[in-house]
Amino acid sequence: MTLKKVFLTIIQVAILYFFALLGNLIVNWTHLPVSGSIVGLFLVLALLHFNVLKLSAVERGASFLMSEMLLFFIPSAVAIIQYKDQILRHGSQFLIVIILSTVTVMIVTGVVAQFYVHRFAGKKGEI
Amino acid sequence: MLIALGCIVLTATVYYLSKKIYRRFRFAFLTPLLVAPCILSSLLVGFHINYSDYDSGGRWLSNMLQPAVVGFAVPLYKFRKVMKKYLKVIAISMTTGVTVALISSGVFSHLVHLNDSYLLSLLPRSITTPIAMAVSVDIGGMPTMTAIFVIVTGISGLIIGPMVIRYLHIKEKLAKGLLLGMGAHGAGTSKALEFGSEEGAAASLAMVLAAIFTLVFAPLLTPLIL
Repeated sequence: MTLKKVFLTIIQVAILYFFALLGNLIVNWTHLPVSGSIVGLFLVLALLHFNVLKLSAVERGASFLMSEMLLFFIPSAVAIIQYKDQILRHGSQFLIVIILSTVTVMIVTGVVAQFYVHRFAGKKGEI
Repeated sequence: MLIALGCIVLTATVYYLSKKIYRRFRFAFLTPLLVAPCILSSLLVGFHINYSDYDSGGRWLSNMLQPAVVGFAVPLYKFRKVMKKYLKVIAISMTTGVTVALISSGVFSHLVHLNDSYLLSLLPRSITTPIAMAVSVDIGGMPTMTAIFVIVTGISGLIIGPMVIRYLHIKEKLAKGLLLGMGAHGAGTSKALEFGSEEGAAASLAMVLAAIFTLVFAPLLTPLIL
């Protein structure tokens, strides 16, 4: 049973990978200014919408990839050691900018969203 | 080939262990995205392994981000009705978020006296890597530096996001998701999924919209920021 689940997950990840590759191809052909994976996302969304693709055909794979997503960021985070010089020289400046800007963006986005949810819907708790 | 496979296994093992540590202590600074790279970097330095050798395997893991982004179609599809209902709120919040992200990165870079090429590389830092790098090229930044800033933003966002939610009493699931996806792209979205599936869906949408809006806004706003 669990082996079957593992197998299903791998197949579904492969399906999603296929759409990412297809997205890359489309971007190469059309020179769209977005990345292939975003095009792939919209492809899958459209196929789900028109019932060409069943939710159950990708749901397990998608939830696996999303829950382990941090793993896929790790190699790029390790890449930082390649930029020792720049980091030693400007690291604290970079950190100050990134942290302050992230705090600002998150506060503004969160407060604006919460304000308008209350204003338009007036209901609490619901998304 | 063997080295590549070894690096994948090593990364996955260290990731698994750091996740256990994080689950045990639930302390924001112990996020696997901070702990695992630190352990791996020390191992590379300690055993004199080149980054390029490590990346022969690492690349495969990074590549998995592409199907992961495609996978965000699932929460978007599941919650499409609520998304439609709150279209206006989402549009307003995201337009504001993207504008604030670009302008604040620029203003703070000026304040700490970073030169223009670093400033330009910092501007698209809050969106998902491939698009951030594309924007960076477009406006005259350094795409590899941008990729690093994107990662550091992700790590910062994992720590800052939950603090903002707690101290500002952000109770709405939509608002929680949007601020995490807007502020810290995929990393924020993974944190949003920890809060719940609706927050995750909102964050996925925010991540996608932030990327698309930034593509459009960055070239327009850059001359004003410089």
